[in-house]
Amino acid sequence: MERRTFLKNTGLLSGGLLIGNKLSALQPAGEPIKIAVIGCGDRGTGIMNILNGMPEQFRITALCDVLDFRLTAAQKLVKTGTVKTYIDYKKLLDDKEVDAVIVAVPLYLHYPVAADVIRSGRHLYLEKTMTYTIDQALDLVTLMHGRNEQVLQVGHQYRYSPLYYRVKEMIHKGYLGKVTQVDCRWDRNGNWRRPVPNPALERAINWRMYREYSGGLVAELLSHQIDFINWAFDTHPQEFFATGGIDVFKDGRETYDNVQLMLRYPDPGLIGNFGAMCGNAHDGYLFKIKGTLGTVSLLTDQGMFYPEKKFLSEKGTVDGVTGATRIVWNKEGGTPILPEATKDGTCYAFNDFYQKIKRRELPDSNVFTGARTAISVHLANQALYSQKVCSWDSSYKIG
Amino acid sequence: MEVLQQPYPEFLTLPAPMKNNWLPGIVVLVLLCCAFGKQPSLRLFEIKGYAQGTTYSIVYYAPDSLVSQQQTDSLLQRFDKSVSLYLPQSLICRFNRSQKGIRVDDVFRVLVSRALQISHATGGLVDPTVKPLVDAWGFGVFKSDHEPGKEEVKNLLRQVGANKIRLEGDFLYKTVPGVQLDLNGIAQGYSVDLLADLLERHHIHDYLIELGGELRIKGHKPGNEPFRVGIEGISGDDLDPAPMRQVIEPGDGAITTSGNYRKHHEAGGKQVSHLMDPLTGYPVQNEMISVTVYARDAITADGYDNGFMAMGLQRSLAFLAKRKDMGAYMVYRRPDGRIADTVSTFFKGYQHKTE
Repeated sequence: MERRTFLKNTGLLSGGLLIGNKLSALQPAGEPIKIAVIGCGDRGTGIMNILNGMPEQFRITALCDVLDFRLTAAQKLVKTGTVKTYIDYKKLLDDKEVDAVIVAVPLYLHYPVAADVIRSGRHLYLEKTMTYTIDQALDLVTLMHGRNEQVLQVGHQYRYSPLYYRVKEMIHKGYLGKVTQVDCRWDRNGNWRRPVPNPALERAINWRMYREYSGGLVAELLSHQIDFINWAFDTHPQEFFATGGIDVFKDGRETYDNVQLMLRYPDPGLIGNFGAMCGNAHDGYLFKIKGTLGTVSLLTDQGMFYPEKKFLSEKGTVDGVTGATRIVWNKEGGTPILPEATKDGTCYAFNDFYQKIKRRELPDSNVFTGARTAISVHLANQALYSQKVCSWDSSYKIG
Repeated sequence: MEVLQQPYPEFLTLPAPMKNNWLPGIVVLVLLCCAFGKQPSLRLFEIKGYAQGTTYSIVYYAPDSLVSQQQTDSLLQRFDKSVSLYLPQSLICRFNRSQKGIRVDDVFRVLVSRALQISHATGGLVDPTVKPLVDAWGFGVFKSDHEPGKEEVKNLLRQVGANKIRLEGDFLYKTVPGVQLDLNGIAQGYSVDLLADLLERHHIHDYLIELGGELRIKGHKPGNEPFRVGIEGISGDDLDPAPMRQVIEPGDGAITTSGNYRKHHEAGGKQVSHLMDPLTGYPVQNEMISVTVYARDAITADGYDNGFMAMGLQRSLAFLAKRKDMGAYMVYRRPDGRIADTVSTFFKGYQHKTE
């Protein structure tokens, strides 16, 4: 077990997060946290919409974006009093009315902005993937060293939903038996581009298309599932095999629109298959964890457990079973993991960010797990673009 | 879903009669023909399907596939058109929306009249008019988002009560416009009875039918083996089911279970049961965890099981002491928090075990 990445799990499993579909029982106390958003694109404004529903926990006090039309649009979203706007994030960091900062900028900027936020003493919610390079990830780990009063949470929000906590617990309790494969997809049938009002802004807005700024589909989408597997099994891949290309949209993009990863996790004896593409949407989001006793099949907000067929028929020596009526969702013998669909993962993630700030505790998605996932993503991309098998280097010191 | 077929075990295969020793061989053959001659080639048929938001399974022994899944599925679909709260055009939903009531079909009529009898017999602890309470406490088709307050419960109780509906022929009247029915506590059992009737009409006399944990049993397995029924463990965790609490051999009749271990939710730090006490308007809160009832038919067993949950342990045992046609196995929480179980005198097929 990697020591520091595994802290604080027990409290969450037994605490309020898992009971039903409700958020934890901790009542907001005192003033809401004054929070700023650096990067008001899709993700930044998406988070703002969530925060508008949490006025007792957060008050948005400052916004920053280099594109003025985005800043103006974001300003209109703020429902909790007045808000200051900045073009230069460094000026925002001089603002005394800021306790915590959300960084939702393009991936290549994560590190410089995050490092400045940390040095400014603010709590930080840093969008995934944590950093663009391996060295940057290790640097943030070093930078956070000794800053026990400061909370850094990495935005792998899906794993904050009670559903994903429950699945982690199921894996640990052995409900799935010995897990040897995971299948993950995140597919779409579309070019994954954002509209550009002015051709000069193409690279600023569609930064995901350019390797200088982005880790492409692996960093922006598959990182969530890679992160969950790392976290749930407390491990990381050792070997990275990958293939891909620009196969659907030959529109000047540099990041691949068709990727497939095979990751080898020797410690748990696990193979991870991760794929994403822009040319078929049938599977959409797919996440299957396959063990000797059963399969977990997950969407972002709901999941099913399918016991292996041979165990379904092994009722033992009885011909029938009487019991309180069991609700099933389909004919294939699947059982819903939670009775109802969960909310957007971002709600749970920010609820926990609030609590961790109030209690000065290490979040579950922290700088250590964030670094582990960022390194995994980077090595996967290295394998993808270099057409070589890459390996985790034992010199990466995270924990 | 398919009908599975398995050859019946080959108990009719006889050793070849020995020379000069015909007579005993013939005697054995004749005896076997007497024992099994009525149905010389019974085979096992299995139907597995999906209905009422849960699964059902039928196992029967017959010379041929006399009843198909198409028949059972269509029976259950017709059943839903009468009394499913999930189908907006079902008779029950139309009744609930009506001002004065509606004309009902046979299924509905049988269910209501039986529910009214049982309501009377249990002193109102089960009540078909409980729906407004079920909805208010968040267990209905459309989830309420708040816990009802004292006033709200008081107001809701004005629409609850067996005396607020009246069956005249095939017309079911409301005496108060807000009255709404929820027959979920009894309907599942009756649907199992209807499946049993279907099998009987096709001259099937050895079967076990299970729908949502409610069972009807008749006859035997090959070799005169009784059907064995497991009483589910109460972990309520379908992802990691607890071992069976008991295995019983009830013989002909019905077995149903009502329990609060699977369906409940949390409010204000405590567990809220999906079972309502129609007299108080509040969810049932007592020592009971689950009740497994034996009766001749499943409409009776299912009709009473919620009532025993509401009565609690002592009242249920006293009630059952007078009934030779019904028995119950009950799991409850003792005052010290430990889980215990007990069984009434006439619970069939139960082997008393020492712990």
